[in-house]
Amino acid sequence: MECYHLPHQTIPLLIDHLMTLATVIAPHAKGEKSFTYAPVAHSRDVVLEYNRTLLSLKKFFLPPVEQLLSYSIRNQTVSETVAEPVERIFFAVHSYEMQAILRLDHNMLEGHPEKNYITRRTGARFIGISFEPDEFHFSRSVGIRVEEMGGFDLFLNKVGEDYHLFVITDAGEKMLTGFQELAPVKSAGMFERHFKNKIKYHYNRLPEVLDHVYQSEVWQKVAGRCVGCGACNLTCPTCYCFDVMDTLDLSVQSGERSRRWDGCLLTPFAEVAGGENFRDKFSQRLRHRIYRKFKYITDSESTPWCTGCGRCTAYCPAGISITEIINDLIIDFQQQQYAKTNVKTTMTESGI
Amino acid sequence: MRQLHEFSTPIDAGLYLPTQCKITQVRQLTPLEKWFEIEMPNGAELGHTPGQFVEVSLLGVGEAPISVSSSPTQKGRFEICVRNVGMLTSVIQKYQVGDAIGIRGPYGHGYDLDDFRGKDVLIVAGGIGIIPLRSLINYILDCRSEFGKLTILYGAKSPADLLFKDEHSRWRDGENLDFRCTVDHGDSTWESNTGVITTLIPDLELDLKNTAVAITGPPIMYKFVVMALKSKHLPDQQIFLSLERRMKCGVGKCGHCQINGKYCCQDGPVFCLTEIRKLEEAL
Repeated sequence: MECYHLPHQTIPLLIDHLMTLATVIAPHAKGEKSFTYAPVAHSRDVVLEYNRTLLSLKKFFLPPVEQLLSYSIRNQTVSETVAEPVERIFFAVHSYEMQAILRLDHNMLEGHPEKNYITRRTGARFIGISFEPDEFHFSRSVGIRVEEMGGFDLFLNKVGEDYHLFVITDAGEKMLTGFQELAPVKSAGMFERHFKNKIKYHYNRLPEVLDHVYQSEVWQKVAGRCVGCGACNLTCPTCYCFDVMDTLDLSVQSGERSRRWDGCLLTPFAEVAGGENFRDKFSQRLRHRIYRKFKYITDSESTPWCTGCGRCTAYCPAGISITEIINDLIIDFQQQQYAKTNVKTTMTESGI
Repeated sequence: MRQLHEFSTPIDAGLYLPTQCKITQVRQLTPLEKWFEIEMPNGAELGHTPGQFVEVSLLGVGEAPISVSSSPTQKGRFEICVRNVGMLTSVIQKYQVGDAIGIRGPYGHGYDLDDFRGKDVLIVAGGIGIIPLRSLINYILDCRSEFGKLTILYGAKSPADLLFKDEHSRWRDGENLDFRCTVDHGDSTWESNTGVITTLIPDLELDLKNTAVAITGPPIMYKFVVMALKSKHLPDQQIFLSLERRMKCGVGKCGHCQINGKYCCQDGPVFCLTEIRKLEEAL
């Protein structure tokens, strides 16, 4: 893998160069504490060191509101809304974010592939960047290092004040054609960054834990604090559920059908006509989300569907922490296992 | 986890695009339930199996999953029957012959007819559960030699709520047919059974090794019907249930119909009891 030394002051030049190739989307500051991915107007506005953006990159591939159909009621004609191909370079993306996109690929392409998603996705290139984990990040616990390069075309690893630029794909190499500021690095060392926030077990063991804690009291305990706002769903980079609605124009002659992000934590999510709600309790909805991230898809794909970005915890108005839930469930699991071995030992000792 | 370039499945043209079909017949079966016969454009066939559903799509209103009620043996047109319970289902009550109606599908995993062929079949229908099961019943009657004895248990709230009354004689009269009806509350003319549907099960004589069961009804019904069947020692792998969920998109994307890790719209709505035993959210 080729690697170049990139002094930090040349980064804006690299962004300027990329802007000659395609629309560049990168993190920008929003207010005092928040960050957002937005198209770059001036390379100097791009923020390289950020903890996380409020919304993940999924907004560019699965827009929060997306038109599916437009129709005329008078003529009873319907046409599908087709996404225009667009070339975009996503710059300064964290590894957990990239991994989330790879998981969305699975959800949108398995079974019935979505044409518009594929169009948006095939026009996208990704340039990763390293980050310093804060108190919410725990991607290492779900198998994603800060320096994980899967999915990226180029990757910037911060070394001191400057960066090492790794070329990962042919497309990445092509993007650098004509960029003059590159000095090759002979041996680019990698150092592992430390995560403060952790899950106590290796992620491979979590499906087994979840096999034993479906009826755990942890769900009730956490549900007592949950306000059911669905912020965890909306900020989650791998949540993709949506609702569909029709909107008519004022003349009631034409309209559109569109979809909007939905969340399994919201009360009416599993409700059917007639009022039956198949997940009417907070605890059931919370549990469903955790199983969706660590068990259901994980059983078939052998990888957690949570990428450890920490958004659901950082933005939860009730202060609910996903790692705390998992770690509490692990304790519950350990106690069950301990009780089992204890019974066995007692039985052996008493000769049963 | 496969990479983007590894996906080679052909892309469905118009995943969310309904086909505009035409209503060719309507009948108001009860004050709440209306029956529709629908014709696809250019003589196309729906191509469903019993137990599958379509997304009915009304422009300006939305979509709802509705079971197909006709048998696949009926060619040219298909039928649905809709109870007025929600937004779309109340609007559709006003639809008449000649009106356009959008259809996506058929979707889901219906009854696998190979599970039923060569066997006695027991149908347990509660309320509007008879609507999807009618597709299976009429298929069996149309291909009579492929199936053994057909027993139909049908429960409704009152005699006035019974659907497809003009077909009951076809379901009842004939060799190897047993049609039993019950209502929660009878009226002065009602001479048949009263009580919940499970009261009909103890009297049945079932060939345990050779009977396949299809159950559809309100969510509350399943547990009790399964319990009644289990007390007759019917094996799980011969019992099939069709579950209701909010199948909004029909193509395994929107997430509303998930039952634990399964998508009701893809893996169901028909599930074998062996599978349901592994799904804590199912019943």
